[in-house]
Amino acid sequence: MKKFWALFFFFWPTVAIYACLIAPSRGWWFPGPPMSRTGVQIDGLFYLILIIVTITFVGTQYALGYVLWKGATKEPGSKAVFSHGSHKLEIMWTIVPSFVLVFISLSQLDVLAEIRVISSFPKDAGKPATKVAEVMARQFEWRIRYPKPGTELTTEPSPEDLYYVNELHVPTGKPVVINLRTQDVQHAFFAPQLRVKQDAVPGLVIPVWFDIKEVGEYDLVCAELCGWGHFKMKARIVAQSQGSVDKYLKQLEAEQNEDGTKAESAEE
Amino acid sequence: MATVTPALDAHGHADDHSHGHAHQQSFISKYVFSQDHKIIGIQFLCTTLLMLMVGGALALAVRWQLAFPWQNMPVIGQLFGLFQTEGGQISPEFYTMLFTMHASVMIFLVIIPILAGAFGNFLIPLQIGCDDMAFPILNMLSYWFMWPAMVCFACSFFWAGGTAGPGNGWTSYPLLSDLPQAAPGSGAPQTFWLFGLTLIGVSSMMGSVNYLTTIINMRAPGMTLFRMPLTIWSMFITAILQAFALPVLTAAGFMLVFDRLGTIFPTTIHSVFFIPANIIVNNAEPTVGGGQPLLWQHLFWFYSHPAVYIMLLPAMGMVSDMLSCMCRKPVFGYKPMVYSLAAIAGLGFIVWGHHMFTSGMNPALGMTFMTSTMMIALPSAIKTFNWIGTMWGGNLKFNAVLLNCAGFVAMFIVGGLSGIFMAAVPVDIYFHDTYFIVAHFHYVLFGSTLFGVFGAIQFWFPKMFGREMNDTVQKWHFVLSFIGFNGTFFPMHLLGIAGMPRRYADPYLHGYLSHLLDMNRFMTVSAIIMGLAQFLLLGNFFYSMFRGKKVGRNPWNANGLEWTAPSPPGHGNFDIAPIVYRGPYEYSSPESDALGQDYILQTVPHVAGIKSVAHH
Amino acid sequence: MSRTPSLNLLVLAFLLSVAAVSGCSDSAFNTSFVYSAGTLDLMPEAQNGTKDIDGVKALLDKRFGDPQHLEAWLKMPVDFGGTMTTVGEMTTAENGIPVVKLDVEEGKSLPEKAGSIQFVSGACAGETVEISGWNAETGEATLAVVPSQSVASGDICFVDGGTVIQSGRVLYMRHCSHCHGTSGDGNGPTARYLTPKPRDYRNGVFKFTSTNDMSKAAREDVLRVVKYGIPGTYMPSFLLMTDEEHHAIVEYVRFLTLRGEFERKLVAELSSDYSKAALDSRLKDEKKADILKELNEFLADDLKESANSLGDELAEIWATSDSEGALVVPSITRIPDSSESRRRGRELYLSKALNCADCHGIDGAGNGPQTIAFEKNPTTSELYNEPGLHDVWDNLNQPRNLQLGMYRGGRRPIDLFRRIHAGIKGSRMPSFKNTPHEDIWNIVNYILSVPFETEPGGTGIAPSAAAAATVTAPPAN
Repeated sequence: MKKFWALFFFFWPTVAIYACLIAPSRGWWFPGPPMSRTGVQIDGLFYLILIIVTITFVGTQYALGYVLWKGATKEPGSKAVFSHGSHKLEIMWTIVPSFVLVFISLSQLDVLAEIRVISSFPKDAGKPATKVAEVMARQFEWRIRYPKPGTELTTEPSPEDLYYVNELHVPTGKPVVINLRTQDVQHAFFAPQLRVKQDAVPGLVIPVWFDIKEVGEYDLVCAELCGWGHFKMKARIVAQSQGSVDKYLKQLEAEQNEDGTKAESAEE
Repeated sequence: MATVTPALDAHGHADDHSHGHAHQQSFISKYVFSQDHKIIGIQFLCTTLLMLMVGGALALAVRWQLAFPWQNMPVIGQLFGLFQTEGGQISPEFYTMLFTMHASVMIFLVIIPILAGAFGNFLIPLQIGCDDMAFPILNMLSYWFMWPAMVCFACSFFWAGGTAGPGNGWTSYPLLSDLPQAAPGSGAPQTFWLFGLTLIGVSSMMGSVNYLTTIINMRAPGMTLFRMPLTIWSMFITAILQAFALPVLTAAGFMLVFDRLGTIFPTTIHSVFFIPANIIVNNAEPTVGGGQPLLWQHLFWFYSHPAVYIMLLPAMGMVSDMLSCMCRKPVFGYKPMVYSLAAIAGLGFIVWGHHMFTSGMNPALGMTFMTSTMMIALPSAIKTFNWIGTMWGGNLKFNAVLLNCAGFVAMFIVGGLSGIFMAAVPVDIYFHDTYFIVAHFHYVLFGSTLFGVFGAIQFWFPKMFGREMNDTVQKWHFVLSFIGFNGTFFPMHLLGIAGMPRRYADPYLHGYLSHLLDMNRFMTVSAIIMGLAQFLLLGNFFYSMFRGKKVGRNPWNANGLEWTAPSPPGHGNFDIAPIVYRGPYEYSSPESDALGQDYILQTVPHVAGIKSVAHH
Repeated sequence: MSRTPSLNLLVLAFLLSVAAVSGCSDSAFNTSFVYSAGTLDLMPEAQNGTKDIDGVKALLDKRFGDPQHLEAWLKMPVDFGGTMTTVGEMTTAENGIPVVKLDVEEGKSLPEKAGSIQFVSGACAGETVEISGWNAETGEATLAVVPSQSVASGDICFVDGGTVIQSGRVLYMRHCSHCHGTSGDGNGPTARYLTPKPRDYRNGVFKFTSTNDMSKAAREDVLRVVKYGIPGTYMPSFLLMTDEEHHAIVEYVRFLTLRGEFERKLVAELSSDYSKAALDSRLKDEKKADILKELNEFLADDLKESANSLGDELAEIWATSDSEGALVVPSITRIPDSSESRRRGRELYLSKALNCADCHGIDGAGNGPQTIAFEKNPTTSELYNEPGLHDVWDNLNQPRNLQLGMYRGGRRPIDLFRRIHAGIKGSRMPSFKNTPHEDIWNIVNYILSVPFETEPGGTGIAPSAAAAATVTAPPAN
């Protein structure tokens, strides 16, 4: 029976590792490859930590199983080892993990700065990245405001801004910035395929940048509890070529200025 | 180390300790409003076990919604005709209430009271060799303050029609929790919740003051600090954490209450600590403003991060005691263990920002908090290695106590390692507010602390009630809980990687998550197994209380001072005032060999002629 | 889906069992429609009728069903889904499996896949039979079970009938019911916490429409709201649903609306004589038994007949509202935005004839004198408890604060034109259909400029002159 328990503690980490190994093929893994520049870096850091953590996991869990096994197979009647510890071991397993942890820490810093510090935001052909839209989160949708094509995004609405809801069009292939705001309570702008997340805080305007590699449609969801509709804030980011984005904005402008006297097919 | 002649009344009694030499105590003063730390400890234990089932039921409701979204919820759907017209389909705000109250009940009414209130209370005087706490009346009050807190939480459930209790998460971020119109539960229910929180805080505070004073002042002669069991060290350090961190939460709670004064009194006057200007929510008047929502997060997490260590350290200490006993070996690296406890607690005060990496706070803070958070993994790692070292080469007793402790270590490894992902800010940007976080904290709070508590219940049960629990039932409880637990929470790591956000009533609305339904169903089934297994524990606990096999003072052949007292100890605890001659972990030492046993109680003087091995 | 004129049956309906098609394993959705306050205010005998005579509830349930078993009253202008066909002939193969050959109308085609047939006339009327094999070209359906009665040539049936309304119901329960209520009464569990309250469809009024003031809402209007939400309220945008999902929800909402309206019309026939209050006053002079006899006669003869014509009326007006003729179309294109136009708009805004400022305030802040006056409830003729303007659902409405630039019914110029021309149905925003369209456009230009005014009541800055604004003197006003 004792051996059963020892084996139990060998068995369960093996099942856990197995689950992680088959996870990607079952879809229990990232929702696709990272589709933005920082996404690639974030995934890289994730895998780095994953490797270190897996080695530690295997080491410690099997060590635990091993000591249990040793205890289970001990000669009946034999004594326990009388030891208060080992100074050498203590030093070793203090210093080595410290180095590992400091190493992990340091490897994050560059990416962190690039994502968060405005002065480190990437430049777009030498100039600061364009502010393409203001994303105003509200209970329970995403209100998008684009500047009139050819003008710059102002912090407060301008008369000729273009509005839409739940669908954000951005150009691919270059870094773009959105102004993230909220009309009411806290929300969070989370684009899982792009690995982008930023809380929207009432009273603040927060610039969020991303550089999407490929044309496509990406999910946009809310990641900060904002009320009963927190899960309903389903939106999408449509990444297109700059030309397509321009065309889209022109079409949006035309729709927004509809006066009902043209052909009624404009009524969708 | 001096020898001390025991004097029978040497123990420092606090003046207000009515010494019950008045033996004719009524039932009420003996068992209800008792000032005896043992009764109070058992009161805490029973109440928190009850609350465990309440919190667990709420969790099962959450799991049900995730496994069978928008379908009739058993029991709750038809309760009081709440969702009759919808056919038992819960409403989204009800879901927000479920996870909010699950967390609130588990954290404030289960884990914190069971560790500090139940075990701290019961064990501290017994393990340090005094006859009661420094402030017995305060002790009694600290238990009885739990009840108004529970009433407040219960009111928050049932006010306003019952379908919308506080639904702002246990983290209660403004503005959602600040403006009554921002969410269905943000009116009166949220205010009740805040009052409940404050009352529990008061209860905790009373406890921590008591423990600190008792441990510092009332140790038996010979019980130096470094002869204290790790349980006491952990309770001591936890009490320091509580004393320093709680006031911040209480202050923040009051600030929030004043922001919402209109929900208590019919007034429009209120403060705006957390409310910025010109926000329009639910078409109410624009806010007057001037406040900062982020301020709440800083204040809240300044308490709540140490709180998670409050919820962990006592279990770590108890597990060390139990492991040492069940392996018949000293704790590997006693002093490093103590220093690690202190390091975790100390560092615990400077890591709170890691809950706020995506919150919009100054990015420079992100860097500093990342570093300190990484460092806090170090003492935890040291402790883990030391536990394994404790078990290595030991003469293991494979009972449920050992199994629960081994489970503790195994789950703590998982919880600790997953924490490293979240400490790294760029990676946390992806994982924040996903199920990865949920997996992490359940592994440390449930997988570690609660399994440690399961072991501790069985280990100290004989001392509490003079009987033992059925070990076979406990083993079944362990296996089912362990399997159910891992089946429920390990996949959450994977769900987090898949990008499934927290607190979603219906994640399958989103295309990239819709394939996760099967996994969630599997997790719900595991959770149900785990929930049902707890009835084994409860049954065993209450049955054995009355019908368990009777045992003597020291059924485990353990070393601590508590095992020299009768089982259960009478009033005053010790029939012979203890004097301490050695540390608590002298198992299988040369001296014990000389006595023909593999343990040697702390009260046994040195065996002549045998040199005790130098302390590490 | 068109009505075939030759079908002249009293009630043409078929049962739609939800479990069949929805694909949702809802073993446990036992929801129920509620009856309106008006119905519940009638005397119980009027509500429930007798064993042989249908009361209001039965008249309603027979035509609309309950959520688990919806009835499709084909008269109603709702796309219930499915393709209407006629039975060509039914044969039984040697192994006993029945095969039905279907004839379809000229110009129509059968769907590629089919799961079930609903028989609507003939001996099997009301039955739904699963299809185990389907050939779209020949129109042959192999039935999974033998129908209980014989199927004759010429029987009318639907292929996959009701799929739209069933999937609409499932979607509605998942996304909409917790605010709008299972019956569309705007009283779901979440509703009590929301300002403004969710729409109660049952009086057939939708506020933000593209139709004239006498018409109901067009399909397009409901679709717009579902897709883009109503900014400034808790009605979110469901843009990311598919077109089929949008369509299904819109049809189900229309279904609930028509049910509510039909119920109101039935109640209107009865309430003056047979409501509880009326009963109490009549009991002073008459005997209960006489009243009951009168009621039963009325129910059995008159109401049963008129139920159908009431249905016809409803169908008529809702169908017309969907047509081109009901649409509000400006007769002139929008007058280009200019400070002149805005000034004219401002004049009109303040004019006695239009009196916008009375509700919307001098500065457009939505705080005109009407917001602090007590008004009378038109139905009860009593004053409302709180000051301000109310809508037809008795909710307090704030006139729009034009300074915010948030327009609930849409921000396109045509949307604002329609708000002014047709008013906002159900609210106190009246219809200004007699105002010249030129004037309306000027007002629209003014309204769109209000959020950007440098001073309230100023004419604002013309967009092209944004840079010049700092040097030009403020326009004389």
